[in-house]
Amino acid sequence: MNKLLSILAVAALLCVASGCDQIDINNTHKPITPVSGSKTVLIKDFTGARCVNCPEAAEYAHELQHRLGEDRIFIMGVHAGFLAQPMGQFPDFITEEGTAWYNDNSSNPLFAVDHVALTEGNTLYVEQIDTPVSDALAETQLFDINIVNTYDEATRSLSVKNTFYPTGDGEGKYYATVCLVEDSIVGWQTIPGGVDREYVFRNVFRGTLNGADGELVSDGHFYYDDTFVTNASMVLDTTYNADQCYILTYIYDYETGKIMHTEMQKIK
Amino acid sequence: MRKHILVLLALALGIGFRAGAQSLTEGGQVSGSFQTDAQYYRLDEGIGINDLRGKQLGINGFGKVNYTNGDFSAGIRFEAFLPEMNGFRPELNGVGLANFFATYDNGFVGVTVGDIYDQFGSGLVFRTYEEWSLGMDNALRGARVVLRPAQGVTLKGVYGRQRFFWAPYLERDMDNDDYRGIVRGVDAEWDLNQSIPALSESQFRMSLGGSFVSKRQYDQSLFYYIPENVGAASARLNLGYGRVSFSTEYAYKINDPSAINNFIYKEGQALLASLSYSQKGFGAVLQVKRTDNMSFKSMYTGKQNDLDINFIPPINYTHTHSLPSLYTYSTQPNGEMAAQLQINYTIPKGTLLGGKYGTKLAFNMSQVNDIVRDSIMENGRMVINKPGTLGYTSNFFAISDHRFFRDINIEIDKKISKDWHLTAQYINLYYDIETIEGHAGAPVVQANIGFLDVTFKINNKQSLRLELQGLWEKEVHAGYEYEESEMKDYQKRGDWAAALLEYSINPHWSFSIADKWNYGNPVEEYRDHYFTGTVTYIHDATRVMLSAGRQSEGVVCVGGVCRTVPASSGVTLTVSTSF
Repeated sequence: MNKLLSILAVAALLCVASGCDQIDINNTHKPITPVSGSKTVLIKDFTGARCVNCPEAAEYAHELQHRLGEDRIFIMGVHAGFLAQPMGQFPDFITEEGTAWYNDNSSNPLFAVDHVALTEGNTLYVEQIDTPVSDALAETQLFDINIVNTYDEATRSLSVKNTFYPTGDGEGKYYATVCLVEDSIVGWQTIPGGVDREYVFRNVFRGTLNGADGELVSDGHFYYDDTFVTNASMVLDTTYNADQCYILTYIYDYETGKIMHTEMQKIK
Repeated sequence: MRKHILVLLALALGIGFRAGAQSLTEGGQVSGSFQTDAQYYRLDEGIGINDLRGKQLGINGFGKVNYTNGDFSAGIRFEAFLPEMNGFRPELNGVGLANFFATYDNGFVGVTVGDIYDQFGSGLVFRTYEEWSLGMDNALRGARVVLRPAQGVTLKGVYGRQRFFWAPYLERDMDNDDYRGIVRGVDAEWDLNQSIPALSESQFRMSLGGSFVSKRQYDQSLFYYIPENVGAASARLNLGYGRVSFSTEYAYKINDPSAINNFIYKEGQALLASLSYSQKGFGAVLQVKRTDNMSFKSMYTGKQNDLDINFIPPINYTHTHSLPSLYTYSTQPNGEMAAQLQINYTIPKGTLLGGKYGTKLAFNMSQVNDIVRDSIMENGRMVINKPGTLGYTSNFFAISDHRFFRDINIEIDKKISKDWHLTAQYINLYYDIETIEGHAGAPVVQANIGFLDVTFKINNKQSLRLELQGLWEKEVHAGYEYEESEMKDYQKRGDWAAALLEYSINPHWSFSIADKWNYGNPVEEYRDHYFTGTVTYIHDATRVMLSAGRQSEGVVCVGGVCRTVPASSGVTLTVSTSF
């Protein structure tokens, strides 16, 4: 019996020893593993000022952006859904286009990686975005985009010229959407245990210059040396801080809703 | 699946032959149970159901058969969700053999292969269980060995992978969303009263126990080092002397960054203690609990009620009447401090207040608060709960001012005469609906609730039962000013009244009609009636229940684990039997 108990005791000790991995708290982050290629990726973060879990999710997405490449990953905060509805001092960032992309979902935060809208199979929780982002970065870039903004401070009028350059020959129906994004807006946000009254909202989607679906860029065959140009304009709302505003343009496959490339440019 | 069954049969036969000359068919006993719950849904604009989203019918069903023959037992459970009823996880949709097992146990050694349900101590580090009403099943598919090397000593080991709806158990697709790790654990328990002859008749009782459980998972994260082996250990002690009992368990878990805790690397801790006293006509129990970062799942990316390796027991009163059950507490996995006091007293027969049959009184109070979390220094700035850090520090004995829940209730249960029986209860409730149900910015539910439950025995076969219930909120009621945009937060809020009349013809039939009325909802269009009519027929162990009407939105909770039930309208049929 003693022999049996000794064997069991040794087995238990071995089990404990092999059953625990203590991570060095000063070394919890993996080294950056750059994903080769030049394609950019857009993460649409469907969020809400009254959504208690949204700040943590946004931080996770920004950490992902920081680690995988700030120049190749764009995050746009799209306020949509019940928890984005304004109430009292909570800000109102709801837009018609954002609500259309949100597609009648019922919770926040939700994410779309390189997809125009939250559709079946493209609606992700934050803990599910790592692999789609990494995979999207590794895809071959199909278009390049050049954004030229002209902003008149006196009239607050903004003109945007987008030029799309195919990186090879191809075929399909491609649309482009031109978005206005305002960064670093301070306002009320629900956080675990209460409300942060000076929360900094990053890259808030303010609306599009050409509708939720955007406009046609190319339909049918296109070739390496083609160029496609679209123009859009708007007058900037007086409540927006022009110094913090950007134009974010993406081109997408109209049939699948998959975004092929994204670029972002300050308006001033 | 066929391969699994063949392996299982081979093992079963092998064990059976080892058991000696015993035949697997001779002297065996078969038992089992079946249940089907079906709901037919209909549009009901009166309670906001304008679209069935393509689902007119939901059916959940299971059948299980167990076979026992001496030291050997085996069983299977078949399940069908075609499709699952509203409020159940869509991943349940499907049909198949969900569970099977074979066990050989001769008293010294017990071996189980297949799907295992078990618990170490109070479950703080390991518990697998199935709860049909929640659509929850975290069975461990693998093996369990139980050894009893000496009287009063039990050693146990388990190893396997948990059930995740219908996902395969293979490890080949580690990048899939349904990948989950392997769970392995050992437990030892020593009952001194059984081991030491001098204590066998003693008033003093003592048992000790300890567990260690570890999960093995692959690190799939792109930017955090995820520990591939996460261990949790616990120690427990049960003491008793005469009418007094004391039990406690402490659990500790090493770094386990996960989606639930926002990828922090803090250790987890839990403490559970219970002191009780009982004598004829009087009983009292005091329980306390502290948990901190003790969610323990075999899928570190999981956030819902699935793949839990452990179980954090709730210490709240379980209400069974419909209005008190509207606001049932759901355990907060990231931390809570809770206490509960329950006192039962029976006023003796023949006294002024006890009357001819005695009077039972019960008092219960439970409260749950958050734990205190303090910021930590990270690269020169104070942060709290930041991914990739220790997250926070927490004083073990400090209680946060943030109260999640409080329930104070008193109940009287009185048999008035041979024909009349009465139960009445008053409940004072505090329920932080923002934390518990995620209604951001919604005011806390502070309510007084009462019910009266009267049964009149017409004769030996027939009886009538009447339930009257009321719920009155302190702050939110008709006339409460709310923002139009937050209207959805006020479903089920405000004052309620409910009544039920049930006529029973024993032993077979029962007929009831009921209505719940949210007459004091601040939103006029939510002031709905929820009528239901129910017929139940019971024949031996078979029960058939047919009900028609409306079901209000709510939560179903079992053991602090909850699922949301959406409002619905239609017909529900339940058929269950056992043999």
